Amino acid sequence: MRDLLLFAAAAAALVCAATAALHANPAIPGLLAALAFASIACWAGATARGLRAASDLTEPRHSFASVTASEPVSRAGWFGRAWAVALGAFGVAALVPLVSLGRRPIAAASAWTRGARLVTPEGVPVRADDIAIGGVATVFPEHRVGAPESAVLLIRVEDGKIQAPPERRDWTPSGNVAYSKICTHAGCPVAIYLHVYYTLYCPCHQSEFDVRHGARPIAGPATRPLPQLGLAVDREGFLIARGDFDAPVGPDSWDRPA
Amino acid sequence: MIVRRVAGFFDERLGSQSILRAALNKIYPDHWSFYLGEFALYCFVVLVATGVWLTFVYDPSPGGAYASVVALGRTQPIGYLMRQVHHWSAVVFVAAILVHMGRIFFTAAYRKPRELNWVVGVLLLALASATGFTGYSLPNDALSGTGLRIGISVAQSIPFVGAWSSDLINGGSYPGPLLLSHLYTIHVYFLPVAIGVLIGLHLGMLFLQKHTQFEGDGSKVVGRRFYPDYALRTLAAFGATLAVLLVLAATVEINPVENYGAYRDWIVPNPATPDWYAGWLDGALRIGPAVEFRVFGHPIPAVFWPGVVLMLVTFALVVAWPWIDHAFRGGEELHDVLVPPSAAPWRVGVGAAFVTAGVVLTCAASDDQQALALHAPLTALVTLYQLAFPFGSLAAGLLAAIFARELRQRRDASGPRAERVIVITRNERGGFDEEAAESA
Repeated sequence: MRDLLLFAAAAAALVCAATAALHANPAIPGLLAALAFASIACWAGATARGLRAASDLTEPRHSFASVTASEPVSRAGWFGRAWAVALGAFGVAALVPLVSLGRRPIAAASAWTRGARLVTPEGVPVRADDIAIGGVATVFPEHRVGAPESAVLLIRVEDGKIQAPPERRDWTPSGNVAYSKICTHAGCPVAIYLHVYYTLYCPCHQSEFDVRHGARPIAGPATRPLPQLGLAVDREGFLIARGDFDAPVGPDSWDRPA
Repeated sequence: MIVRRVAGFFDERLGSQSILRAALNKIYPDHWSFYLGEFALYCFVVLVATGVWLTFVYDPSPGGAYASVVALGRTQPIGYLMRQVHHWSAVVFVAAILVHMGRIFFTAAYRKPRELNWVVGVLLLALASATGFTGYSLPNDALSGTGLRIGISVAQSIPFVGAWSSDLINGGSYPGPLLLSHLYTIHVYFLPVAIGVLIGLHLGMLFLQKHTQFEGDGSKVVGRRFYPDYALRTLAAFGATLAVLLVLAATVEINPVENYGAYRDWIVPNPATPDWYAGWLDGALRIGPAVEFRVFGHPIPAVFWPGVVLMLVTFALVVAWPWIDHAFRGGEELHDVLVPPSAAPWRVGVGAAFVTAGVVLTCAASDDQQALALHAPLTALVTLYQLAFPFGSLAAGLLAAIFARELRQRRDASGPRAERVIVITRNERGGFDEEAAESA
């Protein structure tokens, strides 16, 4: 009677193979395979339970030490220590080639240069009044869309809302302000802008940055402001960068130049 | 007939029959909780089987990885099922290891002579998590790619070797051209081989040292033979594991990378939470303090403390646990008989505190969604988790220890329980008389 389960398992496995060959919805062969394995499990469990009648068996245990304390394994002494030093030296020497594996890091530079136009991921240049107030866009330097560490959030706030130190007063033409989109905490895109609070918000670890005050961190685990990209307007009315970011992009590391 | 011939063939050349007979006749104690590790083992079997299959369709190039995974869903129904089974097995694998580890911990099975096997088990947990994380990153979708970037940021924060190790894995500065191909080699070769070797050690030590048991004084193993008893039960465990994984894979979609889009460093899905076993570290990154300072001019970024120090300290504590336990308890004797959790309230307390700390951090990894659902301010939730991590864990540990001690005292007070037997006899009037009787 119990052995019928084995036939059920075989039948389920065959139908599973057939449905897979016919490119059925993957849930069907999946469930059939589950049925086959469940049948085997039930058969084995029921059979094992049937064996339960006899009493438990025993087997002696023993301790593991094969050498007693009065019988030392090694009499090497000084000689053994010399060997240990020699082998250790070889071990250390073998680690040295590891150093050649990693390249000396060069601080990854962004693709922003003086005069580069801000373009959308589709490559369309952005004018100073293209973005509505409260609006936000991801932009890249022209001809370098998708370049690493170069994603920028371009935000438009009401003119005069930005509280900037004197040397940055003219970095935000017509309320357009630009910050690196790469979080200084762990490198996620700081993808959410809440215009009500003028804050940028990272969906990974919830660091918040104050857009009006140089994107300084105001909540969450980030410790450094998002680097700012100084903006200007060229003769044709398009937004351009004044240069590279004012600080290194992305999370800090041991080798980050101070 | 065929079995006998094959067995004879090997026996005549290797003398294998006597070894096989000893193995098949070996006695194993039985308890439902002894099967938890087997579920993990069979998850690994499924992972290798489906993983080998997936290597034939996956393309580890930066441009082709995402497309090759998404293509599974569109053009190969079975390939899609394989990936679903693979991913489900990975998350269940880590869960099964943890639950198995909980059984070992709360019954004190890690004591001498089994400390080494505890260490091997902890290494297996670490490797299983690492394999999970590297595999999760291979599709190069927007969610896992962001997780990978976080992982690399954490690695970069390590003093001296941080940037070096990041460049090593990337094949240059992030995002390097070799990143996926390096992860792929690590995921399909280094880590699984290491896991396979450690599983071999784990089972080999179990075989040599013999399994612990609840009954007796430990002078002898009490149980059933491997064949047929235990072989049937482990076959049942195997079938059950596969059935559960297949039902999950066929009915509950996991990690739908098709919906996330390919990874680009300026795009992230929201909410962004990792697979569950990485949640405790993500939670720690979320509630970690916003502190960064410099040592000899080099920054120690905020992610270093929750991402590296917390992880290393946790694993170091867990690895050292058998010796910590031993330092408090003393004694050099061998332990083959398990301790029921209620017999050692302090151990229950330590375990409960540890589990609570893990749960708090894991919950913190979705604090943004909780804030949204509860209409609560996120900063308040973060503060709550920051307080719950040390104090909640401590309180939970104390409560659990007190509760376990209470249980033990009640049991001791009532003395050894006699089995109650009621004798029912039919009387002349056709009714029943009940009479309590003490069993022998």
